[in-house]
Amino acid sequence: PPKRPYFVDCRSPEQETFSCWWSAGDYQNLTGPGALSVFFQKNRDVWRECPDYSTAGENHCYFNSTYTSIWIPYCVQLRSQIQDIVYHQMCFTVDEIVVPDPPVGLNWTLLNISQTGQHFDILIQWEPPPSADVKKGWISLVYEPQYRAINMSDWKPLEVERARYQSVYGLKTGMEYEIRVRCKQTASEKFSEFSDHLYVYIPKVPTKETLFPFTMILIFGAVGVIIVLMLIIFSQQQRLMVYFLPPVPVPKIMGIDPELLKKGKLDELNSILSGHHTFKPELYNDDLWVEFIELDIDDQDGRSNHSDTHKLLGSENLNGNCLNIKDDDSGRASCYEPELPDSDTLDRSQAEAREEKASLLDSEGKAAHSSTADPSPPGRSHPGATAEGASRSHPQIQSQLSSQSWVNLDFYAQVSNITPAGGVLLSPGQQSKIEKTAEAHSSPKTQKCQLAMTTDSAYTSEMDAKNISATPSLNGNEPKVTVSPYTVSEAPASSVPPVSDYTTVQAVDSQQSLLLNPSTLPTKGTPMPAGYLTPEQLNSIMP
Amino acid sequence: MSEAYPGLVLLLVLQVCAWVLLLWRFWGVLGYPLDCKDEQGNVISCISISLEKLLDRVIQHAELIYHVSEESCTLFEEMFVPVSMRTQQNRASNTCITKAFPIPGSKSEIQKISDKWLLHSVLMLVQSWIEPLVYLQKTLDRYDDAADTILNKTKWVTNKLSSLEQGIVELIRKMLDEGLLAVEHQQTLTRFNVQPEVVESILRDYAVLTCFKKDAHKMEVFLKLLKCRHTDKMSCYIS
Repeated sequence: PPKRPYFVDCRSPEQETFSCWWSAGDYQNLTGPGALSVFFQKNRDVWRECPDYSTAGENHCYFNSTYTSIWIPYCVQLRSQIQDIVYHQMCFTVDEIVVPDPPVGLNWTLLNISQTGQHFDILIQWEPPPSADVKKGWISLVYEPQYRAINMSDWKPLEVERARYQSVYGLKTGMEYEIRVRCKQTASEKFSEFSDHLYVYIPKVPTKETLFPFTMILIFGAVGVIIVLMLIIFSQQQRLMVYFLPPVPVPKIMGIDPELLKKGKLDELNSILSGHHTFKPELYNDDLWVEFIELDIDDQDGRSNHSDTHKLLGSENLNGNCLNIKDDDSGRASCYEPELPDSDTLDRSQAEAREEKASLLDSEGKAAHSSTADPSPPGRSHPGATAEGASRSHPQIQSQLSSQSWVNLDFYAQVSNITPAGGVLLSPGQQSKIEKTAEAHSSPKTQKCQLAMTTDSAYTSEMDAKNISATPSLNGNEPKVTVSPYTVSEAPASSVPPVSDYTTVQAVDSQQSLLLNPSTLPTKGTPMPAGYLTPEQLNSIMP
Repeated sequence: MSEAYPGLVLLLVLQVCAWVLLLWRFWGVLGYPLDCKDEQGNVISCISISLEKLLDRVIQHAELIYHVSEESCTLFEEMFVPVSMRTQQNRASNTCITKAFPIPGSKSEIQKISDKWLLHSVLMLVQSWIEPLVYLQKTLDRYDDAADTILNKTKWVTNKLSSLEQGIVELIRKMLDEGLLAVEHQQTLTRFNVQPEVVESILRDYAVLTCFKKDAHKMEVFLKLLKCRHTDKMSCYIS
């Protein structure tokens, strides 16, 4: 159906007058003036026709202040000219249709510019629409400014406030801005039209802008360089320290880490130092007791040790004595065959290799061996000796010791000499006894300080004493050497004087034999240690 | 006598309480001067507020009340009123019947009204709306939780209206040198002319809100006019 004529809107700009305008719709024949009429009703009173059709323009009905009452309901009707058809009716109150005019007098002032010169703030001001009677308080308006950059399309609204001024912050220099303002009644929703546009522009300040980043670049560059330098210094700290402060040379042995010495790792140290020919590993051996007992065949100096060892033990001597005195009927020297476990055959091979060395055994013992004069080197003896000699290690010696009879073993051996190497040369005790007896028979002339040598046994048996004392009868001129536990005088031989352990030496005769004092009873006197002479006694004895 | 002491003390206390309760009702009415304190906190005689300040405060009240009532009306319309009934025609059809004495609507006429008349008109308006708003709160409770905002606004408006009333009374006393007691709150709900065919409570409530908004606007305008007259009498009379 065709659209009927209708009221478009009614508006009051200042709440003192109002006007309504209409549209003819599809009825084109009604567009001309006078084709339609407007009637209004005020406060449900009578209907009256529009007082002014022309002031507001075509199709407008204008009501001036005499017709306008606020808070009073109005109704307007759009009627045909004939006034019989009502096309449209509209009711309202004037305070509801108030739409003010736009503000006027928009201007701006500069508040400040930032230090960088990039941004600035402004204060914009305006005046209320002249039609609105704001001064008397008849109408209360609120305003809303908006701004945008020229090339942008979106308007940025600011706060809706009652004040007639506002500040705009953060505008950029060198850019042109556009500002506009609109207003409305406090409680209404309808805004006015926008005011005229205001253009704001502040040119850029070139000097500040160019200097600022330059100084910043300088500062950051310097800081970066400093950081890089610090990193270099810290990473190469060791090298720089060596370069600038060279280390003071400390004493040290080439090839040896001082740490080894500190930690006490002797094995490693030994291995390192054994390369040096001057080094003797034995010095670092913990076992000092083994020093003198351990035998080293390879070592030339150790031969004396070799001989000394089995002399100390007496095993060889026993063997030698056995072989040497096999014709002796003294029976004193118990002879036995040493039980050598398989070492006999084992050592034979060793013995043949070392036969030369074995022949050089024991220069002091030669006398003992030669006196009994067995020129033929006994095949058995030497091997036996060498066997004895070969077995010089502790366990072998000990095994031999265990194989022998302990009864006949001499626990003590006489120290005959001390080698320069520090070894001790021992002479067997029984050998000396046997020697004495042999000498008594064979060579009475041989003089020996038998007494001095027979210190191994503190006791001499009676038989020995008689035998010994018997020798002077044979020798004749020889002074009597009486060694007896008895204080025996020559005349009374039948009486048995009490035995005393000690005898004082009375004198030393020309043959350098000790004359013991028989009368002295050592038991009553101060006991003298066997075999020892005090220097005073010696002085008294010696002629 | 010593045994009767507690009893006498109790009696005395009861008497005092009774008198206090009796007189409490009329405390403010009798115009007992309030204890005022200056900046240091010392009790001094009250310094009455200046007329300009009082007028400003009253105008502030009126503006706020109008603003909040307008919000409530808009909210109610969006929530509960069908779109078909939101036309201006329907708004105006729910006319608000004013008081017995007519208030002129045009600006020229209003400007001719005397101060006394203005003040009394405002006072009458304020007093006439307190009860309907209380009634409106009760009706809004029957709505669902969506009306809580409107209910809160209505409550707030009711409170502010009471203080506005006190302000107007004081203003009348100052400007017109008249003494007024607390007036009676007479109000009839029949002033709201609801269309006979629409008896829904929604429209009735909507009518109440709309009419109150109009009257709040009236108060604000009147008081502003009054202020203009007070500051610059000559220019305010020229329309």
